[in-house]
Amino acid sequence: MSNKAAKIGLSGVVLATAFGVLLYSSLGESLQYYKYVDEVMAEPAAWHGKNLQVHGIVVPDSIARKPDSLEWRFDLQRNGKVLRAYYTGIVPDTFKAESEVVLTGTMDDKGFHATEMTAKCPSKYDAAPAGPTVESSPAPSGGA
Amino acid sequence: MATLGYYLLLAAFIVCAYAGAISVAGARRRSRPLIESGIGAFYLVSAIMGVASAVIVYSFVVGDYSIRYVQRYSDSVQPLFYKLTSYWGGLDGSIMFWVALLSAFGSAAVYINRERHRELIPYVVTVISVVQMFFLFLMIVHNNPFQTYLTETPTEGTGLNPLLQNFYMAIHPPTMYLGFVGLTIPYAFGMAALITGYLDDSWLRAVRRWTMIAWLFLSVGLGLGMIWAYEELGWGGYWMWDPVENAGLLPWFTATAFLHSVMVQEKRGMLRVWNVALVITTFFLTIFGTFMTRSGIVQSVHAFGDDPELARMFTIFMIATVVVSFGFLIYRLPLLRARNELDSWLSREAAFMMNNWILLFSAFFVLFATMFPTLSEAIRGERLTVGPPFFNQWMLPIGLTLLFLTGVGPLLAWRKSTVVNLRDQFLFPVSMGLAAGIAVVALGVRVWASGICFALSAFVIGTVTQEFWRGARVRQRATGTDVFTALVGLVGRNKRRYGGYVVHLGMVLIFFGFAGEGFKQKEEAQLKPGQQVAVGDFVIRHDALSVTDDGQKQMITAHVTVLRDGKTFAEMYPAKWIFRKHEESPTTEVAIHRGFAQDVYLVLATFDAATQTASLAVDINPLVNWVWMGFGLLALGIGIALLPDAAFSFATAAVPANAATTALILLAVVLSQGVTLAQETVPAIFRSPLERQVANEIMCDCGGCRLSTESCGMMNCHGKERQLSKIQQHIKSGQGHDAILASFVREHGGYDVLMQPPNRGFNRMAWLLPYGVATVCLLGVAFTALRWSRRRVPAPAAPAIDPELDARLENELRDLE
Repeated sequence: MSNKAAKIGLSGVVLATAFGVLLYSSLGESLQYYKYVDEVMAEPAAWHGKNLQVHGIVVPDSIARKPDSLEWRFDLQRNGKVLRAYYTGIVPDTFKAESEVVLTGTMDDKGFHATEMTAKCPSKYDAAPAGPTVESSPAPSGGA
Repeated sequence: MATLGYYLLLAAFIVCAYAGAISVAGARRRSRPLIESGIGAFYLVSAIMGVASAVIVYSFVVGDYSIRYVQRYSDSVQPLFYKLTSYWGGLDGSIMFWVALLSAFGSAAVYINRERHRELIPYVVTVISVVQMFFLFLMIVHNNPFQTYLTETPTEGTGLNPLLQNFYMAIHPPTMYLGFVGLTIPYAFGMAALITGYLDDSWLRAVRRWTMIAWLFLSVGLGLGMIWAYEELGWGGYWMWDPVENAGLLPWFTATAFLHSVMVQEKRGMLRVWNVALVITTFFLTIFGTFMTRSGIVQSVHAFGDDPELARMFTIFMIATVVVSFGFLIYRLPLLRARNELDSWLSREAAFMMNNWILLFSAFFVLFATMFPTLSEAIRGERLTVGPPFFNQWMLPIGLTLLFLTGVGPLLAWRKSTVVNLRDQFLFPVSMGLAAGIAVVALGVRVWASGICFALSAFVIGTVTQEFWRGARVRQRATGTDVFTALVGLVGRNKRRYGGYVVHLGMVLIFFGFAGEGFKQKEEAQLKPGQQVAVGDFVIRHDALSVTDDGQKQMITAHVTVLRDGKTFAEMYPAKWIFRKHEESPTTEVAIHRGFAQDVYLVLATFDAATQTASLAVDINPLVNWVWMGFGLLALGIGIALLPDAAFSFATAAVPANAATTALILLAVVLSQGVTLAQETVPAIFRSPLERQVANEIMCDCGGCRLSTESCGMMNCHGKERQLSKIQQHIKSGQGHDAILASFVREHGGYDVLMQPPNRGFNRMAWLLPYGVATVCLLGVAFTALRWSRRRVPAPAAPAIDPELDARLENELRDLE
């Protein structure tokens, strides 16, 4: 009986370790740091090249768009710190001055290069049926 | 009305407590009348909840805006249908709806099983009552849907968010709730079996059907959610691994596992501990999912806001659930010894065990990845997230393995498969799979995951076909009818098995649709009239941009021709609608051209009316519709499995309802017109520290978020600006921090405008009260139950009273005075 228990225990441990190692190694590639603009701008150079999600507010009058293209440039700010961001693609309806957005991408000296943009707009869902069942999907985000 | 409603909730709570306590007492004293009384009280709860529901629905219909909940989630112009569905439109009402459904489900389960499982029923009543008490308690102390305005009554409601006023939003939440609530029933029976020690397989028989019903609702609910995301949100996909979506998926995994492992226990008497543990885990995950989305521990664009108070209560309840449930499980381990051991890994039970482990691992993985940001913040102090690619990377091999096992399981014999029957059974399905695999390679499919998925789909279809065919042949020979009649008879004889196979076919279709994702093509382009863009086999030509106005809204419509091989394939009209007075939030009207092979999915993203330029997002989504068809087939399969006994009417109702639902949703999407409330935004950037501090301490007025004014993240939040401008006025007039808070309390008529009641003096009571009340209630119930359940010892015969002695005593007492 104890022999059997030991066998089960052992295989359990081996399996758990194997999956743990797999999980850990696969995590490395897909990890994204979730940061607010001011946290990133405290030491911008440290974030160069890292997968990053930045959360901030679009600075009014900073939105610029290359004519006849889908290339955007704008500033994000939080607590007075400002980050320049570049994004190519279709922006969500809710993207405009002072909207709260979360950008996914990487940073370099020029600023933040976003590959994905989500405009935070829970007001659409605030009256959503509560609970686990609230259907929920990302805010319409053309870039996603 | 509000008072009536509130008292009804209180009454429901008390009756629940009574039902729970008297049932325990009745069971321990083996007193039939006490048990009957408990059952009666339990029915009474559902009646009370029915009346309470009627009260709130009535308030919605007549527009009783003195009730906050009614005021926040409806208005007078709302169509009647949406006034009714506003019931579960917000947090407080949805909890109440939850309790109402649970009491109705519970009563039905108790009614059906009251004779057959007499020994379990009292504890089933107790367990469900305790769960109801928790939710009722939440409403009574924290989320009372009948809360009224203390100050003057508003004359008009805020209105249910127009985006939610579509048919989908009316039907999806109740479907999910039914699934979640339904899963409480198996838990209650499992616990009853643990408590009483009647751990033979009878509790399983009682809950099988309930688990299937719950599973059906859960699956259909998830499917409806996907359809909605796909058609309403305009981002081209249907699953995003959002925490709120995942919350619905977690119990689905464990419930699926349970539906399979039940069979192993029935046939072989194995996995008995496992099954109880699965039922407990499933129930726990339904509660945990609720907790995750409502307490704000997981950041999601869609989750409800932070609510530490609610989080605390849920945590306490969850810990109690885990401790009590698994405590009983450990206590009863000796009774749960398996009657058999695994004979061979080449057996059906081994395949089921694999399937169970994988499903459980899926649940664990999704839970882990969903909670990852929270976990990393707690452990490393740094918020790290993982995106959908991480989920896909893991769930893809997991899903394919599950699909493979779907085909393998039915082919293996119970106990042990011999080499001969392996060859006999696997020959046809495997050759089907191989043929499909070769065809896939020959056709030049280069996406390996999708290729494997197609081959596995063929394998599973082969398995199912073979099962039906062989069964029908055997029956045909035995009864001498034609094959078709034999088939119907076969299914009728073993509905659960063959219904299950139909569900498997549904899953194959769903996976077939998933595999199409591998060939998805998308493009974004800025087009002037006459310009075109090629996406896959299609050429999308922008012809013109028209601006029309129907008085209510301005409609900017792109006229797009889709060409294939130089010929016109379709004309499509993606649009943006800009509603009067809501110019800031245009709505996106997706244009979808459906097909068995693919959907062409067009979104008009931005436009320039002057130059007629439109930027279009084009998605070619292959095989999407197979997913929806798969869900339909899945519902049909469960319907077949549920057919026996009284469920016939239910099945006939559920299946067409589902098909009709899909059709209606399509219609609703075409007709629905989401409008968001537009408001000017207050410059939220340069503000004084005082203003920030105050804004952090005062609750946002928007109704749903329960966040502070500062942290309410809604962009067009209509409550936030109001509060912020008030705060600014107060600061301008030179008031200090305390004075501002005081004037808010005065104006609002209560302390609940503050995020936290001032933590001093009398108000400290407010912190302790809920916990105090809860403790007292629990102690009271436990005490009563114990007391009632003490067997009455025949009292020693009263000594005959001597009249003389009595008189003397009387005299002496008088003298004492």
